[in-house]
Amino acid sequence: MDKDKHVQAIVIGAGGGGGVAAKVLATAGMQTVVFERGGWPSYDAHINDELISQRTQALDSAFGPEWDKHPRVYVRENGERDVINAGDGRYNHVAACVGSGTVSYGAMAWRFMREDFRLKTTYGAVEGSTLEDWPVAYEDLEPFYEQAEWEIGVSGDAGPNPFASPRNRPYPMPAFEYNRDGEYLAGVCRRMGLHPFPIPMLRNSVAYNGRAACIRNRTCCGYACPVDAKNGTQNTVIPAAMATGLCRVKTHCVAAELMTDESGRVSGVRYFDPEGKERLQTADVVVVACSAIETARLLLNSRSRLHPGGLGNNHDCVGRNLQGHAYTGASGLFDWDVLDLAGPGATMAICDYNHHNPGIVGGGLLANEFYMMPYAFSQSRPWGEPGWGKSHKDYQRKNYRRLGRMIGPIQEMPMWDARVTVDAEVKDHWGIPVAALSGSKHPLDFEHCRFLSARAEEILKEAGAIRTWRHTGDRPPRSLYGPGGGQHQAGTCRMGNDPATSVVNEWCRVHDVENLFIADGSVLVTNGGFNPVLTIMAMAYRTAGYIADHYR
Amino acid sequence: MLDRRQFIKQSVAWSGCLLLPSCLHAPRKGLYRVFTEEEAGCLIALCEQVIPADDTPGATEAGVVFYIDTTVSHYFPLTTGMYKSGIASLQTYCRSEYGNLFETLEPSRQTEIMKAMEAGELPSDAWSADVSQQSFMSMLVQHTMQGFYGPPRHGGNRHYVSYRMLKLDFPLVAGQNRYGNG
Repeated sequence: MDKDKHVQAIVIGAGGGGGVAAKVLATAGMQTVVFERGGWPSYDAHINDELISQRTQALDSAFGPEWDKHPRVYVRENGERDVINAGDGRYNHVAACVGSGTVSYGAMAWRFMREDFRLKTTYGAVEGSTLEDWPVAYEDLEPFYEQAEWEIGVSGDAGPNPFASPRNRPYPMPAFEYNRDGEYLAGVCRRMGLHPFPIPMLRNSVAYNGRAACIRNRTCCGYACPVDAKNGTQNTVIPAAMATGLCRVKTHCVAAELMTDESGRVSGVRYFDPEGKERLQTADVVVVACSAIETARLLLNSRSRLHPGGLGNNHDCVGRNLQGHAYTGASGLFDWDVLDLAGPGATMAICDYNHHNPGIVGGGLLANEFYMMPYAFSQSRPWGEPGWGKSHKDYQRKNYRRLGRMIGPIQEMPMWDARVTVDAEVKDHWGIPVAALSGSKHPLDFEHCRFLSARAEEILKEAGAIRTWRHTGDRPPRSLYGPGGGQHQAGTCRMGNDPATSVVNEWCRVHDVENLFIADGSVLVTNGGFNPVLTIMAMAYRTAGYIADHYR
Repeated sequence: MLDRRQFIKQSVAWSGCLLLPSCLHAPRKGLYRVFTEEEAGCLIALCEQVIPADDTPGATEAGVVFYIDTTVSHYFPLTTGMYKSGIASLQTYCRSEYGNLFETLEPSRQTEIMKAMEAGELPSDAWSADVSQQSFMSMLVQHTMQGFYGPPRHGGNRHYVSYRMLKLDFPLVAGQNRYGNG
């Protein structure tokens, strides 16, 4: 096997966490190599094509991974194993390109609330769940949230949300104005005694960081930006890392296995280069940031004498507690054009229901939603409405601008058996055993969805919607819904102080491997009632800063 | 003067003949890539039922059949056999029940048959193991919606008919209402 020149640090995965880690390490003077299985994204490669967008994927995934090369296995409740590709909802797909999800995300830039780090202390243990507190508090992360907001670029207004976590510095860019439904629903919320405010966004409300201001494109969430006004790691921290001259991004390279030495330390990564040739890259320290499912898979595929069940897995914790968000809310049809289609759609949110709801563990934000493009809208109908024919077309024509929505994420209760394992038989294009997903959600998640969707429906009714319906995700059979995950996948390499119940310590270092770190959603103990990307970025800043201080 | 689209069409036609002299003698190829004219006739009628023309165009005018014939068959080769098998089963039923092909029946009769197909209520003996009547129907509806409401670059939504119907400006930037020559 050919060896690459030894470097100080390897980062595997160039997404939200990996991109940040690379920047911190390179600017601290460390020679760094970043591995990415996809390539550099470009707007021109897929333009505003709904059928391959991240939100639809009817034909293909614009930002990868390639369907035929990266299969996964989905284990049904009865034990049957389905081999699936990224077009299948059960795959829990995350983009595979430089920037990963931060290229095509909706770009909501949430800080978690204090309670989100202390769910067990705040609400007590939950039966059947591995619910735990984080080993770090909001205050530990606050400076790194700020760093992410300023370096990657967030537009927002810290004032009007009374539930927001305390902050030391305002947002670097002013908030976006509301769109028509945002403005209207904000008024309704205020009338109801709720506290609406503009959603903080990783998008430029004004020119920032050498790039233009947002043009209010409709095809934003699920797409790359034609004017590069959306801030991901691919157009901020990764170029900054490369500009140091110390960071190299190796695209179209697939990590197969982490190598360890006699003492159990990580020595490097065995990978396949773009030509499919096996190579070895060695380094002093390794950061894994492949997202919750792929990070767990890589660790589980890295077996050695000292780590027979995979790296970090001597207590059988790697891959467990797989979670995402229980998305819920309500839709309402209006008898006037409530949407003006000034992109991207989501502009207004409330955090009134994130915590301290009666009888509920946690909760979630509610926001007006990203716009649906015509095909997605054709698939969106209240229960019982015809799926084709003249009346389907009439509905489409009449209501495309009349559907108001209030939607939000609720943190799922972590489950020990909701997990990633590696499949004994199915291999990917390079012969690497693939991830197998199994387990299910906690019944409480459905209770939570019923609660929050009812609140969303109240708002739409108060707003004068002529017909409303709720999205609770619990239409039977529930078993079809499998473990949580999706683009907000988290939890599989949980952070904690006890090596018997967690994978990494409070600095996101794998407990029994002294030079192996994780910098993605895997380390999140719980997922917050918020989109998690800013928290993943903040954690990566904190982790990489620790590495730069101690391993340089 | 030729516009860009015509120029490309013409050059493709000329170069095709120059490079492949045999095409001068070959019988004229049909309109379709994977379907026969007969199969396509049935498919067009089915798609038009899913999204019928009224005061705005339906699936036929949007070219949904070309979306299924070229794009779907390219990305999902296995669906071609399912379409062929489903169409054959449907025609067998229509011939025995009405003595005629599906596309020649009254539109209201076609609707009736498709509703029965959706509910799995057509006699099952005509349907092979390749595709059941319900999965045929749901595949057809899904692809028709994609072809009609998806972007024109995949062969359907010709002349942006669905975007025009929804009064969606294009490109998808508010305030830039440009459909070009499409």
